[in-house]
Amino acid sequence: MIRVYTAKSVITMNASMPRAQAVAIRDGIILETGTLESMQPWLSKFEYEIDDQFKESIIVPGLIDPHLHPSMAAVLLPTHFITAMEWKFPWGTTPATTSAEKFDERLAEAISKPTHKDLFITWGHHDLWHGAMSRERINSIEKKKPIVVWNRSFHELCMNDGALEYLGINESEVGNASQIDFEKGRFFELGLGYAIQKLNPFILDPEIFKEGLLKLKDVVHFGGQTTIADMAVGLFDFDNELNMQKLLYENEDTPFRVELIAHATALIGRAGGTNEKTEQLIASLEKHNSHRLNFRKRVKLFTDGAFFAQAAQLLEPGYIDGHQGEWLSTPQQFEDIARTYWNKDYAIHVHVTGDLGLELAIDTLEKLQSEKPRFNHGFTLEHFGFSTPEQIHRLAKLGANVSANAYYVHELSDLYSNHTVGFERASSMARVGSCFREGVTTSLHSDFTMAPAQPLMSMWVAVNRINEKGNTMCAEECLTPQQGLEAITINAARVLGMDHEIGSIRAGKKADLTVLSEDPLKIDPIDIKDIEVQATLFEGKVFNIDQK
Amino acid sequence: MIPLTILAGYLGSGKTTLLNNLLRQTSKPIGVLINDFGELNIDSELIKNKDELTISLTNGCVCCNLNDDLGSSLEFISKQGIEGAVIEASGVAMPIKMSNYGQTWPGFTFNGTIAVVEGQTIKRLLLDKFVSNTVKSQILQSDLVYLNRHSEEDIKLISSLSKEIVLEENVSNFTDLVFNIDSTIQHKTNLDIVDHDNFYSNVFITEKPIEKKAVRDLIANNPNVERVKGWISNKINETWLVQATKSGCNFSLSNNDTKTRLVIIHTKEISLDALAAEL
Repeated sequence: MIRVYTAKSVITMNASMPRAQAVAIRDGIILETGTLESMQPWLSKFEYEIDDQFKESIIVPGLIDPHLHPSMAAVLLPTHFITAMEWKFPWGTTPATTSAEKFDERLAEAISKPTHKDLFITWGHHDLWHGAMSRERINSIEKKKPIVVWNRSFHELCMNDGALEYLGINESEVGNASQIDFEKGRFFELGLGYAIQKLNPFILDPEIFKEGLLKLKDVVHFGGQTTIADMAVGLFDFDNELNMQKLLYENEDTPFRVELIAHATALIGRAGGTNEKTEQLIASLEKHNSHRLNFRKRVKLFTDGAFFAQAAQLLEPGYIDGHQGEWLSTPQQFEDIARTYWNKDYAIHVHVTGDLGLELAIDTLEKLQSEKPRFNHGFTLEHFGFSTPEQIHRLAKLGANVSANAYYVHELSDLYSNHTVGFERASSMARVGSCFREGVTTSLHSDFTMAPAQPLMSMWVAVNRINEKGNTMCAEECLTPQQGLEAITINAARVLGMDHEIGSIRAGKKADLTVLSEDPLKIDPIDIKDIEVQATLFEGKVFNIDQK
Repeated sequence: MIPLTILAGYLGSGKTTLLNNLLRQTSKPIGVLINDFGELNIDSELIKNKDELTISLTNGCVCCNLNDDLGSSLEFISKQGIEGAVIEASGVAMPIKMSNYGQTWPGFTFNGTIAVVEGQTIKRLLLDKFVSNTVKSQILQSDLVYLNRHSEEDIKLISSLSKEIVLEENVSNFTDLVFNIDSTIQHKTNLDIVDHDNFYSNVFITEKPIEKKAVRDLIANNPNVERVKGWISNKINETWLVQATKSGCNFSLSNNDTKTRLVIIHTKEISLDALAAEL
């Protein structure tokens, strides 16, 4: 039976027919878009039903987040969020908490609620907003019950007396450690590594991990995504990540698919130590494929360090304070690994954060192109923190794609402008306007939990480039709303090598749709992030979203 | 407390050869951790302690990898009855960051960092578009440079970056080299090292009791002070071995009955008297 959904307007992202009034679907596939009249050749021959539940709404292609980390989300989502920025979740909104008093108030309130967990972990504390954290400060709220306050940056946490005792951490063991301040209950950098080691039995506990993945399922639905990509399977524990996602996501009530991309260097040890053996292992992963979860000829590599940790590798003039970024492997190793997959025709996704990290990826691509030319090869620069206009011109010529985390502009551009790299480079981070001008296939991602898993939020940042202080950063790099929507639909599908199946609404594609309260191309761009996602359709099946 | 030494240096600089030489000579049970991916080219027959571990890529930050493989491996080997441990760092690891393992992980005491440098490639690496800063920092941040396959010219080049250089041909005892870095440094000051542009070092000796906090404050409050090492004797006559850098201070109780003797390494000419007044 054919089902026809009518809408106030359908934005198809198919340039040949950009707008429609209705979508006809059969067996999870789009038969036709257009008007009820133009669909008559189908409707006159087959049984059909018209469904007008979305007649007051806008239908767009199912949104795609081409880079997030379910396993990181699974760790974080079971914790209690107290954050400086507002985070919207299906179970309610975490309000912005912007003072020390408010933070303590919210913490006290959260602790007082009954829980089945022995250990209470809160995430989101930020010194600039909430003041310095210490053992004493948590003790003054609660001394006995084990409490952990985890910093928004992930790089630091504080424990109260109860937590130190519960985890068996004592002064004789860690009193002399240089990155642990026992007196203040504070663990940072490697000291954090030590604390995490002690916390791992709790945060990676299978039941809690499961709770986290199930919460992510709601988060993804709430954000309107019908396709997400796990852009580094093997980050913590390959088998666990794959098996848990299969168990929890491969079922009829999951409204999205998960595209799986293996983390090459994490699998080297398991494969037997060489790039060739690792490639064979990754090639064999397709045997795990199922309806919703699929490996394809794609692989994830890394050049430089994390953007939030200021470990990006920078071209001259580098960081203001003179510190060095980090490489995650030597440039030679990177080139060897990339060559292995290039020669076997993979789409290579490369984590690049700084412009020197990007330079390495582009130089390598240029070398590989001259050794073995390829077209439409899917080599994708992921994150794309700092870049130069000249690099964008080069990567366009080499046929690379870009998948950017635009949220950097919102959360970090003010801080990085004042303390890290100066205004010129900080304001032009995630230089996506130039990418569109150079004709580069460009998508946006959340890298959740680095940014909210809400494509409309990513689009809002890329279109407005407004930072947390409310200032517009480099208006020249703003996307138009049309480009912003392309970046979270059809371009994201291209970046994943899936554009023949998803990413736009046209005859023959999978019936993945997202239903919105407002028209993202006509609304004042400043309101894009507040558009309600009302429902999604995954392969023709409707999944409504309760608004809270 | 198990003494931990870090072997740093770029890919192909000779870290594994040095490690093999150590393992061939030593009779001590030693734990070896290799912080890199790829094929393990160490001869496993040579490893006395069979609990050696190859650590896959951990050169990220803990926010991206909740399993701190290196940390958990340190935890594991600390319980295997070893008398010393060596981490062969990845080719791009930063010594100061790595040294924090020695200064932070319970059960270990930080012995020092050796940068392994190969003469034949160093000149090219120091000009390389991508790794010049990394390789330069590896040399600047290490306690000692082990220079192999080198020419006279290479010695001059490295001397402009580090005072503490050991030449391949002068090493016969690798256990001493790796586990007695301080004595090696003493020994090597005899070498004819050319003048040093970047660092000054001064020795400070006093009868006055010095507390740990004073050393912490000294390094925290003086941007030009890069490192403080030696011994302090406090009010209650305890002697503490001090190894302090910008990234952290490590103190361990010492049997050495000595008055306060500190080597202060700094970047600009500063008045030692003024510093002493702060202590």
